[in-house]
Amino acid sequence: MSTVKHRSAGPWFVAPFLILFALLFVTPLGYAAYLSFFQHKLIGGTVFVGLDNYAKAVTDPQFLRGVLRVATFFVVQVPVMLLLALLFALALDSGLMWLAKVVRLGVFVPYAVPSVVATLMWGYLYGQDYGPFAQLSRFLGLPVPKFLTDSWMLGSLANVVTWEFVGYNMIILYAALRTIPGELYEAAEVDGAGAWRTAWSIKLPALRPALLLTLLFSVIGSFQLFNEPKLLQTIAPNVIDSSYTANLYAYSLAFTGQQVNYAATVSFLLGAVIVVVSYTILITANRRRQP
Amino acid sequence: MTRRRSVPLTIAMLAALAYFLLPLFWLAIASTKSTQDLFTSFGLWFSKAPQLFANIADTLTHGDGIFGHWLLNTVLYAVVSALGAALLAATAGYGFAKFRFRGHGAGFNLVLGAVMVPATALAIPTYLLFSQVGLVNTPWAVILPSLVNPFGLYLMRIYAEDAVPDSVIEAARIDGAGEAGIFFRIALRMLAPGLVTVVLFTLVATWNNYFLPLIMLNDQSLYPVTVGLASWAAQAQNGGAGSSGEMLPLVLTGSLLSIIPLVVAFLVLQRYWQSGLATGAVKQ
Amino acid sequence: MPELVPQHALSRRSFLAAAGAVSLGAALAACTGSGGSAAPAAERVSQADIDKAMATPTELVFWSWAPEIEQEVALFTAKYPAIKVKVQNAGQGTPQYTKLRTALQAGTGAPDLAQVEFQYLPTFTVLDSLLDLRPYGADALKSKFVDWTWGQVSGAGGEIFAIPQDTGPMGLLYRQDIFDAHGITVPKTWDEFAAAARKLHAAAPDVYLTNLAANQAAAWHGLLWQAGEKPYTLSGKSDITVAVDSPGARKLAGYWGGLAKEGVIGTETDFTDSWYASLNNGKYATWITAAWGPAFLSGSAKATAGKWRAAPLPQWDPAKPSSGNWGGSTTAVLKSTKNPIAAALFAQFLNTDPATTKMFTTKQFFFPATKALLADPSFTGDAPAFYGGQKVNEVFSAVSDTVSPSFQWPPFLDQAVTDWTETVGKSLADKTDTAAALGQWQTRITTFAKNQGFTVQGG
Repeated sequence: MSTVKHRSAGPWFVAPFLILFALLFVTPLGYAAYLSFFQHKLIGGTVFVGLDNYAKAVTDPQFLRGVLRVATFFVVQVPVMLLLALLFALALDSGLMWLAKVVRLGVFVPYAVPSVVATLMWGYLYGQDYGPFAQLSRFLGLPVPKFLTDSWMLGSLANVVTWEFVGYNMIILYAALRTIPGELYEAAEVDGAGAWRTAWSIKLPALRPALLLTLLFSVIGSFQLFNEPKLLQTIAPNVIDSSYTANLYAYSLAFTGQQVNYAATVSFLLGAVIVVVSYTILITANRRRQP
Repeated sequence: MTRRRSVPLTIAMLAALAYFLLPLFWLAIASTKSTQDLFTSFGLWFSKAPQLFANIADTLTHGDGIFGHWLLNTVLYAVVSALGAALLAATAGYGFAKFRFRGHGAGFNLVLGAVMVPATALAIPTYLLFSQVGLVNTPWAVILPSLVNPFGLYLMRIYAEDAVPDSVIEAARIDGAGEAGIFFRIALRMLAPGLVTVVLFTLVATWNNYFLPLIMLNDQSLYPVTVGLASWAAQAQNGGAGSSGEMLPLVLTGSLLSIIPLVVAFLVLQRYWQSGLATGAVKQ
Repeated sequence: MPELVPQHALSRRSFLAAAGAVSLGAALAACTGSGGSAAPAAERVSQADIDKAMATPTELVFWSWAPEIEQEVALFTAKYPAIKVKVQNAGQGTPQYTKLRTALQAGTGAPDLAQVEFQYLPTFTVLDSLLDLRPYGADALKSKFVDWTWGQVSGAGGEIFAIPQDTGPMGLLYRQDIFDAHGITVPKTWDEFAAAARKLHAAAPDVYLTNLAANQAAAWHGLLWQAGEKPYTLSGKSDITVAVDSPGARKLAGYWGGLAKEGVIGTETDFTDSWYASLNNGKYATWITAAWGPAFLSGSAKATAGKWRAAPLPQWDPAKPSSGNWGGSTTAVLKSTKNPIAAALFAQFLNTDPATTKMFTTKQFFFPATKALLADPSFTGDAPAFYGGQKVNEVFSAVSDTVSPSFQWPPFLDQAVTDWTETVGKSLADKTDTAAALGQWQTRITTFAKNQGFTVQGG
């Protein structure tokens, strides 16, 4: 009796979400997929080209360079960001510090700042002539940091992204920590475990799923990196070119080059890269769990 | 859990806090400056003639008070999107967590897979589709896409699996409660902490949404505050007739004003969230 | 674009446009219905049809980012109370064009009229989206406008695709106090300018004679324009000659690239906080700008009030003074409009009526496109204190006469600009070989144009 109900009610719960999802995600996505099989020219109109766009993209140096750059970004920035988020979450959860509420809010606030504003602020701080770091260096007679040059830019971007998202990841991890049952801690205390010991042997294992979640979010965030480079482009247009990241390349193709079809192709290939990376991480994580 | 508090840890965390607040400190200082002081005085300290209130007044009155309009639009878009998205995600998350049906796995994976394709691919197709049904340049063009939050669905499914015990559902069924009744009267309350989380994150995402409303809206009176501020900033950041650096103090003050409600909302929501999490932890 | 759905919309839209035109008489129906530039010399719409259209309640949507342009629009609606004009700010420059292109592609959501900068007109005419305004009397307006502006709005077949609104003939703003302190006289030629740059920087290492922003393709095009270059020549619909690295362009690149390499000029991104601060703090002794620059600067560099003066650009050949244009806009009517008569008359009124054009110079500080205003003593006689009482408008009015009327823009401006920033602009910023970068720019544009189906003649 209850199993019949069980089966019939399920679709009703997921239907509203899935219908909107189909209309607002799947339809445009399908349309974009359809577009990726065509080529449009200002002179001559549209022709069906099959997989030509895909063949072109996999050897397109601009696309490959963009993917390589975001992969580098992922490998360097994400560990730093997640490690910081983890440390902050553990510190807040430890109950060992004063002003925990203030710190928690302060670290989270950047997440609530629109990236438009974030870039405005960092743009000033990075300033070569009037930025405070430049002025401080000059005052101390040190070489002036060149935040907005070719060799520094990826680091400068990583800093902005870290600044924006440490708090977000910290909150997710902190929330996960708060769900650890109190009995576990009591047991640990009975065993005479200190704060570090508790963190290592109880909290970290319990954080596994949450860490995996933040890692997967970060895969998507890194490989789809767009807002920050797009906005910093206004102050460093000669360093951040139109194909600086793969997503920026897709955007430039669609909006500057009027090559909507090829832009769709690039987006789908980037999506494929993200799927592969995400699944690799998931499979690795699950395999490690088994033994 | 009463432990000794640690001074070094507190100092280290306050140092970290300084890093996170430094840019905002600059913004707050900059909001007190005139155009001239903005370009001639040291950025991290007040100028000789701070004029925060004059700047706020200018921001609120420029262009017949359009800034207030933008702020209200943002509140409307963000609140409707956040509540709608949270409810949809909670309903669907509960459905995926507690029921098995045909297309169950495929549906869920499709939703998560869709997130992998960058939204830039969707912008133009979405615009074309919306324009066919007359949604372009209406609030719905901004709200509807924000209602579907795949991350929200993911979080709510995970949350529902743990937070709503099967035994409770079974007991309610035995008492003769309908599925909708069980969800709205019993499960939804248990899902509250997760729900608030999704509300919070969607609220922030919609509040800061720039690209979508930029593409979809043409009417200045429909702009959210991000697009509005960018249109002011454009007057200072592009050359050409009618441009001027005099808009920059308004942009900075406006930026500061636009962040404050979100910080307040976070503070207020946080309390619910906190208590929700506490009960969630005890219950299990 | 293989737009299954949008194509329906397009045909529906053009059907509606044609249906609307039927009531206006067969001649007009033929004109707006077929709409192609292939149509022979456009026939005038009769005065009776115009009178009827202007008395019929109509709403026009007008995209413009000019601040408070509603004031000028109100003068039009006072004269034609039946016509309502809804002004929408759909973004300044690039965002607006992006939106406009997308709306045109979708077949719905495009305005009746839009503010379009001179350099973007071919980008839209190649899409066949602008209405030829000749049938509505625009050809009679030619004599009102400065010659070069009329050249900019005219199509290859004599079409008139827009009405000029404001302009930006280029000139030099300079710091009199810095010039005086270092014994520099206003350079008449580019050679003198280069000598002054070296002299100034040697004497004051923190000061540069000027900043040639490495992101500002518009200024580069203006300088090409001044040098008499013709980087793009469109003939027919699909033949384009690209000559961005012609010998003349190489000379220009050698000149500016050389100064940048020597380190005697700045190349920082313009219109950023840092750039504003530089202007306020006297890092640059001149600003190579356009006629809208004086009003802009007086609001943005208040700390330097009274110290600036204006002069024409230095010359390559002082015997034949010339200048280019940077900035300025037009009002264009979109072909998809259902109300071509009202829209065309609005565009013409807005930019020719003595009251509106005058108001543009006093409210928005537009630099005018009409001969009447450029000769009007109330305009040229203005002597702002920021420039030490100099009659700045008079300087730029004289410059306006020296702008060549034959300069053309490419039908894919966004791409040409992006490519410039990533090649020539980058070489200026990185102090590498700018002349070599010209070659990369040429190659990039040529490749893009070929991929878009153009027949390209290399320069």
